Amino acid sequence: MTAADKDTSSAADPRKVGTQLRPGLWHTINERYPGSMIRNESFEPQARLRKPLGASRLTLVSSCGVHSKTDQPLDVCHPFGEFRFMRVPSRAKHDDLIIHQLKYPHDDADLDISIIFPIERLQELVEEGRLGGLTPNFFSFIGYNMDPEKFERTVAEGIAEAVVGEERDDCALLAPA
Amino acid sequence: MSVPYLREAAAQDDLGKLVRFVRLHLGDGDEAVGKEEIDRSWAEAIKILLRDEPVDREFIVWVLETNESTLALLFFQLHFYIIRRSGRWIHDGSR
Repeated sequence: MTAADKDTSSAADPRKVGTQLRPGLWHTINERYPGSMIRNESFEPQARLRKPLGASRLTLVSSCGVHSKTDQPLDVCHPFGEFRFMRVPSRAKHDDLIIHQLKYPHDDADLDISIIFPIERLQELVEEGRLGGLTPNFFSFIGYNMDPEKFERTVAEGIAEAVVGEERDDCALLAPA
Repeated sequence: MSVPYLREAAAQDDLGKLVRFVRLHLGDGDEAVGKEEIDRSWAEAIKILLRDEPVDREFIVWVLETNESTLALLFFQLHFYIIRRSGRWIHDGSR
């Protein structure tokens, strides 16, 4: 059993209880990008699921930068990052989507988008009745970002408002890239 | 290096901090690689000009009349464009 396998359902901060996935991650980030670390006081405990997954509508939020091929790509060249996000139709298939992103390898994801953005697996779970449904749209953004406060005001709040207001989800799967 | 960190560096005209950030950004977290990438993009631009092809000077004048924020971002876009077309592409995160 590794640290990543420990029960994280409690509201404890994973950095304090040792369930952080990559030891030394915060040191690495701070060394390369001083001042860009997420502040400890910004920690928010996870909310409890109010009904069974089989009756819940789920949304997917990912920092992988995936979007529909018909959409204009996000800006991957801006030195401070991109402060917009994309809506990805939850009915989309692998062939409808493209990853437009720098700074992480996505060769394998180009062959099977679900390894980083499990949209087709979630569609299957709905068909099998293990999930109640999916929100009409999922969400994607560029993970590289140098302005956490602006990111929170724009991307994070924008997605949160869309998820709760327009999409009316019951739960969200957050998938970092 | 967060944006507040860079704003402070800019206010103090701390060239070292600003240049380090640019090199880290263009080198995917490796300052030495970033420096090499900057040199390479200029070298690649020279290679293109050595073809001595006709250029659209009206387009250049039109672009330069655009606002500075757009031009500054275009500067970064051009860097990545020129590096990509050179065929030597390190920005897939596999380094």
